[in-house]
Amino acid sequence: MNENLRRMRNIGISAHIDSGKTTLTERILYYCKKIHRIHEVKGKDGGGATMDYMELERERGITITSATTNVTWNEHSINIIDTPGHVDFTIEVERSLRVLDGAILVLCSVGGVQSQTLTVDKQLKRYNVPAIAFVNKLDRIGANPFKVKDQINDKLGRRAALLQVPIGLEDRFQGLVDLVRMKAYYFDGPNGEVVREEEIPPELEDPAWQYREELLDAVSLFSDELTEAILENRVTREMLLRAIRKGTINREFTPVLMGSAYRNKGVQLLLDAVVNYLPDPSEVENIALDLDREEKPVVLKADPTLPCVAYAFKLEEGPYGQLTYIRIYQGSLRKGEELYNTRSKQKFKVGRVVRMHADHMEDIEETGSGDIAALFGVNCASGDTICSPGLNYAMTSIYVPEPVISLAIEASNKLSADRLAKALNRFIREDPTFRVYIDPESKQTIIQGMGELHLDVYVERMKREYRVEVVTGRPQVAYREAITVRADFDYTHKKQTGGAGQFGRVIGYLEPFDGQYEFVNEVRGGHIPREFIPSCDKGFQAMLKKGQLIGSPIIGLRVVLTDGQFHPVDSSDIAFQMAAQGAFKQAYRKARPQILEPIMKVVVETPSEFSGNVFGSLNQRRGIIVSSIEDGSYSRIEAEVPLSEMFGYSTVLRSMTQGQAEFTMEFLKYSRLPAALAEQLMEEHRQKLEAGDKK
Amino acid sequence: MVKKILSARSPIKTLEKNLRGGFGPGHLGVFASRKGVGKTACLVQIALDRLFEEKPVIHVSYASRVDYIISWYEELFKNLASRENLKSEMEVHDRVVRNRVILNFRQEGMKTEQVLKSIDALLGPGNFAARTIIVDGFNFYLPCAEDLARFKQFATKRQLEFWFSCSLKGEDPLFDHLGLPFVLKDYLPSLDIIITLEHDNGRVRLNLVKDHDQISSKKLRLKLDPQTLLLTRI
Repeated sequence: MNENLRRMRNIGISAHIDSGKTTLTERILYYCKKIHRIHEVKGKDGGGATMDYMELERERGITITSATTNVTWNEHSINIIDTPGHVDFTIEVERSLRVLDGAILVLCSVGGVQSQTLTVDKQLKRYNVPAIAFVNKLDRIGANPFKVKDQINDKLGRRAALLQVPIGLEDRFQGLVDLVRMKAYYFDGPNGEVVREEEIPPELEDPAWQYREELLDAVSLFSDELTEAILENRVTREMLLRAIRKGTINREFTPVLMGSAYRNKGVQLLLDAVVNYLPDPSEVENIALDLDREEKPVVLKADPTLPCVAYAFKLEEGPYGQLTYIRIYQGSLRKGEELYNTRSKQKFKVGRVVRMHADHMEDIEETGSGDIAALFGVNCASGDTICSPGLNYAMTSIYVPEPVISLAIEASNKLSADRLAKALNRFIREDPTFRVYIDPESKQTIIQGMGELHLDVYVERMKREYRVEVVTGRPQVAYREAITVRADFDYTHKKQTGGAGQFGRVIGYLEPFDGQYEFVNEVRGGHIPREFIPSCDKGFQAMLKKGQLIGSPIIGLRVVLTDGQFHPVDSSDIAFQMAAQGAFKQAYRKARPQILEPIMKVVVETPSEFSGNVFGSLNQRRGIIVSSIEDGSYSRIEAEVPLSEMFGYSTVLRSMTQGQAEFTMEFLKYSRLPAALAEQLMEEHRQKLEAGDKK
Repeated sequence: MVKKILSARSPIKTLEKNLRGGFGPGHLGVFASRKGVGKTACLVQIALDRLFEEKPVIHVSYASRVDYIISWYEELFKNLASRENLKSEMEVHDRVVRNRVILNFRQEGMKTEQVLKSIDALLGPGNFAARTIIVDGFNFYLPCAEDLARFKQFATKRQLEFWFSCSLKGEDPLFDHLGLPFVLKDYLPSLDIIITLEHDNGRVRLNLVKDHDQISSKKLRLKLDPQTLLLTRI
């Protein structure tokens, strides 16, 4: 096998916000000699962590966009993709996960498995990404890596075992006992760069052997060789390494490492674990769809001699133009080579190829299978597949959730207006969950996204990166309309105004439907000629865009066309479209339509002492409290709350819990809006229409 | 309205009619049996009975995962809806969900004081007007006379009814000559109702062994259907 490939890792660092992910990344860069000074997150020393490279992120102390960087450890080339932790930026995480071969799941040794850990864990599972866990912040008061390991088993449903035990905890945390090597490790020097190996302290001998037993127990499942060796008491380090590696790559086992990135302890051992236990690109199966063969799945081979297949997973606008981050799945890619974008069906020439290190970049001539690099001056959107000419593959499309919230924005002056268009154009290419449209009635520019924070961040980016001053409206919820009962229609469209007339009659019914929309043709005996059936469908579909209650899109509708009538001369495509539209108008109100609102699954993590207030705040917001799980001093409250009630909740929650609680939310379902609120919305809609008429 | 009809037909009402002085605020009841006989099914049906009447319920669990508890409710709701030929099933289901909160205590040895504090938080600041509390997985094999006295006091103060499950374990005999589980004998002052479940000719029968101040083994005319796990009259 290709030695370069065997020595390559593509990893992500996934974590709950504030579990120290950025600090950890920073330390990794430092120990791999990519940076020569350690900065702290939130720019205490004015520098700001290297991976957290956007100004906005620096200010908020969080990572929003995923930067990738390449480091070398023990003669292995590791590409690190820094993934954002907040659920509002899910698409960023998901796109990154698509190109990872493995991940480090960072957990806080005090907070343990928190709501976002669950979300991130679910994402890792969805994309079949093998992971190792790193329990960070062992120097904090209340640190308990043993509890966190149990939570990984219980809450995340993983089979996890400790690979290390701590020497001291909290302010007495000194080093780690490695249960594979059965040695103690200390991290000396001003920045912990000198790793000192010692014998295990006598007081930790017994617990270390006990936890090693647990580890052997857990991983012996993956190796007969190891099982036999355990019985004969001749376990070697290599055997144990192989079993842990196999279990991890098969995603049946999660090794748990630990340390304190902030105190410079344990990071080098974590890097060893990345090399030892996470897969190289050839150990992960990747599938593309052959667009020339009805999207037949094709297994890609990480072989540099085969034609190239690469996936553009991220775009960024740098000072020198658009930078496209790509992962190469098959073949290799050279500067000056011609490639083909299978979505836009355009050929292009590879200009500059660079390897990224957060804000700095390094020009390279060529890159091969499994690697991650960035291209300059390529015109493409994120999610595009790039192939050698002759291939027409698409990497499986990633799951893109529908946006649930919208906001009207307006540039405050003419100069800003031009820049605004440029910024929006860029953002929609970067992020498929961010959408933009012009409301035909109000002529306002509407942006749509996954949550309040998601849109906030883009408004901020407009200001900072494009110097666009925007005025925003109130966030609007994406309501839907749906019918509740069957209603019949029988409508004739007839028009005679000299010249060719129009005639079409449609008979049938509307009924509620589980999916979005379905059209069923049951017309027999040619009462409507076959060529006009699609016209009817088109006519009905045109009506779905705007319901009659509040002008929201209609979902959950089946139209069944049972009969009709035509005229040999006057019937036409347009006549039947008009007939369908008339029929829809006739039947819609009879089908008792109702307004649906998006319901979010909200998870609040709070110290238990505040749970009563949190319950109250959710109740007040028309929320249904599904459950509350109490684990020691923390409660995890899960609720279903209408999105329209969640605006500004983060501020409310913060002040209610002295900043100690946090929440995540994601779209769950559409549900009926209570009558009183529906009435209010309809009234507002009527007034808006009347105002429009007067204009 | 649908729920009223459903509730009136409920075997739970039959059960309550059989109790001297009924069951209500300030009372503690227990279903006791070995594991896997049907205690949780009985508890969930009591909860559903209240939920059908739009009375909020708090379900406290010490061990089970939340999704596991929810699946109990879903399963029994589905079976009840199909047995009673329930119309507007979705609507009733929505209201059931709306009026139920599951409180799960994961940590072993969770103190009763903390559990009551959480219930209190939900009732008070949480503004959740439950009158029925279901407690599944409470360990009666640890000394708990004081804990039960606290539950009793809390039930009286807050005007709540509590239904517990008690999982019997160990070697036979588990019951005394009157049918009282040995493990519960120390706690009789706090417990108003004790019902035991036993296998009897391929079905599960319910025996009322403590009815307020009276100890007597009375076979209730109720059984658990082995297929649907629904309580039915005999």
